[in-house]
Amino acid sequence: MLSDIVAQYTQDSTSYHGDLAFSSSNAWQGDVAKQFGQLSFDLPNTGNPAEFLHQYTDVKSDHDALIKLAHGTTTLAFKYADGVVIATDSRATQGSVIASQSVKKIIEINPYLLGTMAGGAADCAFWERELGRRCRLYELRNKERISVAAASKLLGNMVYSYKGMGLSMGTMVSGWDKTGPNLYYVDNDGTRLKGNLFSVGSGSPFAYGVLDRGYDHELQKEDALELGKRSIYHATHRDAFSGGYVRLFHMNEDGWEFISLTDMDDLHWKYTGDAAVTAS
Amino acid sequence: MFLTRSEYDRGVNTFSPEGRLFQVEYALEAIKLGSTAIGIETTDGVLLAVEKRVTSGLLVADSIEKILEIDHHLGCAMSGLTADSRTMIDHARVEAQNHHFTYDEKIPVESVTQAVCDLALRFGEGAEGEKSIMSRPFGVALLVAGCDERGGQLYLADPSGTYTRYKAKAIGAGSEGAQTELQEEYYDTITLAEAEALALKVLKQVMEEKLTADNIQVAAVTPSLGFHVYSQEKLQTVVDSL
Repeated sequence: MLSDIVAQYTQDSTSYHGDLAFSSSNAWQGDVAKQFGQLSFDLPNTGNPAEFLHQYTDVKSDHDALIKLAHGTTTLAFKYADGVVIATDSRATQGSVIASQSVKKIIEINPYLLGTMAGGAADCAFWERELGRRCRLYELRNKERISVAAASKLLGNMVYSYKGMGLSMGTMVSGWDKTGPNLYYVDNDGTRLKGNLFSVGSGSPFAYGVLDRGYDHELQKEDALELGKRSIYHATHRDAFSGGYVRLFHMNEDGWEFISLTDMDDLHWKYTGDAAVTAS
Repeated sequence: MFLTRSEYDRGVNTFSPEGRLFQVEYALEAIKLGSTAIGIETTDGVLLAVEKRVTSGLLVADSIEKILEIDHHLGCAMSGLTADSRTMIDHARVEAQNHHFTYDEKIPVESVTQAVCDLALRFGEGAEGEKSIMSRPFGVALLVAGCDERGGQLYLADPSGTYTRYKAKAIGAGSEGAQTELQEEYYDTITLAEAEALALKVLKQVMEEKLTADNIQVAAVTPSLGFHVYSQEKLQTVVDSL
């Protein structure tokens, strides 16, 4: 196969790649990176790298570990008649410290695909950038854009090959393809869900509350964008690990569109000063 | 013609006493069997034009593709054993995307040409530590066109692994006549529109069949539009204006 040949000489031949659950590495092409000629990561040289790494990595805050992963975020995306609304906060925390109030949690994979960032910032940024690379290669090789379903599956498969090794990523991949607007949830467990409405992060229960109350598939674009913005605001109000700015994007037929970046402080005075917005 | 070479022209890893690698030289000959391809550097971009051999009325001309996209700002035309180009172009595409991934910038035209040429020498048994990918040299030459921060550039990458930059270059069956013509007609201030006319004029002279919009393919790389293949309509207007 052509891609195998390309992979052979593009790949860093010295790096060891272990297939954790599959001992015969040739039988199962779990790491899609091999087929696409991207270097893969070195793993601890133990019988079960996943188990080894689990001792030192804290993905779910369930035990005290040497490698602690930052989490604390509110991200949401929902699909409706005219496209997809994507909104996030912009806060990064390290324990109880606010590390940044200006994080870009919406990742532009390419002009018609967006990803969101929750969990490890570097993991999301890296793997979604890698996804962008592979989507572009897909496009060059097949002379058509990749579907959102295929792109999200690609991402799911990539992180699945490192399952249990400490990756932390909860992302929503949205885009517009031949079938219309699409939205998928993908996380580091390898879970991949298609849906109309998702929210990820510590602030997500609060965002879901507002979102479920106001969501309607037939929403007008203006109202949909307002709903996204308001959901993030209310989540950041109750969740200390979320805050900063609301970053708002919209997915149109011809690709994503940046809508706004709004200071949470301005929103707070707008919403507390205007009681009418609580019921729409 | 090649009778005297019988001792040294079999193996790809043996020099002849005169210091030649015949298989590589034969690979260069294979390019001369291919259809003519022309590349011209202009003031506002790089132009690529190729002849398509539509050998039968039943052949779907659109299915012959001799100019391909490497990335938004890079394209290439080929002549010779075009099947070999698939490996090379896929490698170029992967390298272009890897460069973008790593450095967040467009890969320079020279770098992508270099990457293609690195492949060209990986035939034979393969040295220690690296796998060879082919038992013989590639039988195809590529004209790599692109625009980067150094402006529009045109490179020729051949089976010997050599790459050279040209202001205008013709390869393939009609390359000798075409190159002479280009040498006479080329000037440094040539525009893309003028290069279109020149390329088609030259192709018309060296092609065996009558030149039509169906048996040529033209593409350009410009700083504003990037790589784009000319549509059938645009091609028709250029052909009509000849």
